[in-house]
Amino acid sequence: MATGGNVRPAEEPEEEEEEDEAAEEEEEEEYTFLPLVHDIIKCMDKDSQDVYQELNELKSKFQAMRKLVGNMPGIDLSPEEQQRHLQSLREQVQTKNELLQKYKSLCMFEIPKE
Amino acid sequence: MAVPEKSTKERLMSFLDDLEVLSRELIEMLALSRNQKLSQPGEENQILELLIQKDGEFQELMKVALSQGKIHQEMQVLEKEVEKRDSDIQQLQKQLKEAEHILATAVYQAKEKLKSIDKARKGAISSEELIKYAHRISASNAVCAPLTWVPGDPRRPYPTDLEMRSGLLGQMSNLPTNGVNGHLPGDALAAGRLPDVLAPQYPWQSNDMSMNMLPPNHSNEFLMESLGPNKENEEDVEVMSTDSSSSSSDSD
Repeated sequence: MATGGNVRPAEEPEEEEEEDEAAEEEEEEEYTFLPLVHDIIKCMDKDSQDVYQELNELKSKFQAMRKLVGNMPGIDLSPEEQQRHLQSLREQVQTKNELLQKYKSLCMFEIPKE
Repeated sequence: MAVPEKSTKERLMSFLDDLEVLSRELIEMLALSRNQKLSQPGEENQILELLIQKDGEFQELMKVALSQGKIHQEMQVLEKEVEKRDSDIQQLQKQLKEAEHILATAVYQAKEKLKSIDKARKGAISSEELIKYAHRISASNAVCAPLTWVPGDPRRPYPTDLEMRSGLLGQMSNLPTNGVNGHLPGDALAAGRLPDVLAPQYPWQSNDMSMNMLPPNHSNEFLMESLGPNKENEEDVEVMSTDSSSSSSDSD
């Protein structure tokens, strides 16, 4: 990857974008239960014995999704609350920056060290 | 958006519960209808549509959750920045306090100096007056024995016992000025001129006595001479201090 990047640096961003889009699509597929339900219905139509395996897959998918949601960072708040927190943090940083800038521009303090 | 105050996690969990219930219900319903050969396509379709709708909403919410994860990362960066700024501000505050302390000390010292300068200006004494005062002190032989001094002469180069008692220190310790026991004979003699010595208007202040006692050009020489016999003075002072202590103990 590193050597390829050095050879064709101009094409690298496009490749990355394509990779990101593909990853997003995969993620979206990961978060849907419809394909599994569809497979189960198909198996039921065919009276296939794979239906139990599909049912187990659906069950384990629900478990996996619950675990994933439980471990996802930053979703303990609603988006609105999170935005408020984010805004408040940005304001804090800005205020503190301004305060520091104000004090630093006042004058220099040289404290004699004994 | 039905329950806006709920956290995204709670909403996702609730969606998962709904999806699980709907998919189970759909599968059970299909299985039941297949076994019993009953066909209720309307209800199945309704559940299927609901399942598709909930699945879509769940995916949308998952996108929101992922973006919230990114915002969470940004918030962590901002929190670290806030902490860094806080420590910077604390450091600056510490330096400002140190500076304030140094400045306050400097201002206090400067004020003290200004006070003493002001005091010195208000109580300015002319050199002439100082010389007069020096004459007044030396005229009573308090600092130097007269040039013609010989043993037995009651005039002394230090305050006599009676003079000490009449002074400010004597008054502070309430020592009696009269009826002193064990005073030296010289004190008695000196007592005769004591009122003159302590009087605010000393006769020589009118320059008559000083002119008689000391020539104007002799004053400096006289002062220089007074510094000469140091050893004798020290010895005398020692004798005087023992005298005063013995006399004070006697009076007590």
